[in-house]
Amino acid sequence: MNDLAIDLRGVSKKYKFFSLDKVDIQVPRGQVMGLIGPNGAGKSTTIRILMGLVHQDQGEVRVLGRRMPEEQIAAKWDIGFSSEDLRLYEAMTLEWHMAFVRSVYSTWDQQYANLLLKRFGLRAEQKMKGFSHGQRVKAALLLVLARRPRLLVLDEPTTGLDPVARHEILRELMGAMADEERTVLFSSHNTQDVEQISDQITFIDRGRVIDSFDKETYLDRWRRLRLEVPPGIDLPALPGVIAVKQQGRIAIATANAFEPDLPNAYERTGARVNRVENMTLEEIFVANVEHSREEVNA
Amino acid sequence: MTDQTSVVRQMVWKDLQLHRPHIIATLVCGAAALALLLLKHEGSTYFGAVTFFIALILVGCLLAASNILNERKKQTLAFVMSLPISSIQYTTAKLVGTVLMFLIPWLTLVIAAIWLIAVKGVFPHGTIPIALIVLTLPFVGFCAITAMTLVGKTEGWNIAANVIFNSSYSLVWPFIAGTPSLVGDLGKKEPVWNGAVLTFLGCEFAAIVLILAITYYLQSRKRDFV
Repeated sequence: MNDLAIDLRGVSKKYKFFSLDKVDIQVPRGQVMGLIGPNGAGKSTTIRILMGLVHQDQGEVRVLGRRMPEEQIAAKWDIGFSSEDLRLYEAMTLEWHMAFVRSVYSTWDQQYANLLLKRFGLRAEQKMKGFSHGQRVKAALLLVLARRPRLLVLDEPTTGLDPVARHEILRELMGAMADEERTVLFSSHNTQDVEQISDQITFIDRGRVIDSFDKETYLDRWRRLRLEVPPGIDLPALPGVIAVKQQGRIAIATANAFEPDLPNAYERTGARVNRVENMTLEEIFVANVEHSREEVNA
Repeated sequence: MTDQTSVVRQMVWKDLQLHRPHIIATLVCGAAALALLLLKHEGSTYFGAVTFFIALILVGCLLAASNILNERKKQTLAFVMSLPISSIQYTTAKLVGTVLMFLIPWLTLVIAAIWLIAVKGVFPHGTIPIALIVLTLPFVGFCAITAMTLVGKTEGWNIAANVIFNSSYSLVWPFIAGTPSLVGDLGKKEPVWNGAVLTFLGCEFAAIVLILAITYYLQSRKRDFV
């Protein structure tokens, strides 16, 4: 049995002003993958392809072992999908939506639904038009979680939420992930949210996957070195360093494959290493995107 | 696991619940219009007949916009498409649901109108064939508007379909009025089902079937759903 919940290989899709270019994403079962990219990077297109809503021009897509889009119906029984722009029917109550989803999925867990109602502070008898954005997101998530899917695909679910609502959503997602069989693909441009819940992280920009590792690898491999460069010394291009920005005597080197010997290598060139800093995921993301764009433009 | 037919059925049922107010409003409006016909006064008869026809046209326009276009505009499509259905099953659910929602008031009101003529004698029985022909026109127009909205996906296509098909009635009426084989027997005590009447009715229903079949075919060829 294939142990990949999501398996995208060489997936391409061409639009007039945007292309998804040979995207490879593999998410093992039971893992949480954060898909990070700036607006317009291709996150939603990737998600639409893996949901079978958009047909790829090239490449192979398998979700829970099913070929997409051909076997999307069988796959979607086990996929829970929610996105930032997903809306529910304004004229209807949350209870009506719950009854509708319950009528489709025999896996619906009413007890869990009631628990989520309580935790999210939602009123089932209220019509959706009276819900705030945060409440709408929580309601959509409730409808997804209460049917206990094996795969959760969440497209920017925390976008536009206030910190309290974001915290509640993330806490519930982390709770849902306690089930080791459940896989989650979580797209966002908010690196803090992704860092909090993801095991693996994929960066995507301008339709290309630019990096994909587990979270710890990113945090271990990326460092920022603050250097002091005496006059007359040119910093060499060192392996593992992707960018050096210098202003007068002060230089900042960004390494994406940091080795303990790297500071010594700089010292040997005559530069002085003032500090070696860990980078946050957001800094890694920005540096990664900039580096990728420089490479493409070169 | 619920089977696929059941999911499509649940979607149709969902749409029926969502659009119950439209259906009820049309039935009330149509019933009020028919009540005006019972007054047998020239002014009320004219006003009732026009209101009745408008009610049938209006519900067609509303249903296409509300049940199909609004799903995209109001962003509920993502919710629907996350269900275990394919795009062709979505098309099936939408076509079946929308046509069914139209048929409820249309059939009820058409039967009521024919009953008023046949039993209550509001008009001579000779008007029954032409009444059926004229009242089937909004059904054809509704199917065409629904098809263009579903295939075109945008508000522009919906507006264009509404303008084209609703204004085309004014082209069809003079043709009907100017065809003696269709209107020559209006004053008779018994309905006359001559060849012209049956051909016209047959063409209307054939157009409905053709429009729905073409819609289904075009939708099945789409690669991208959103």
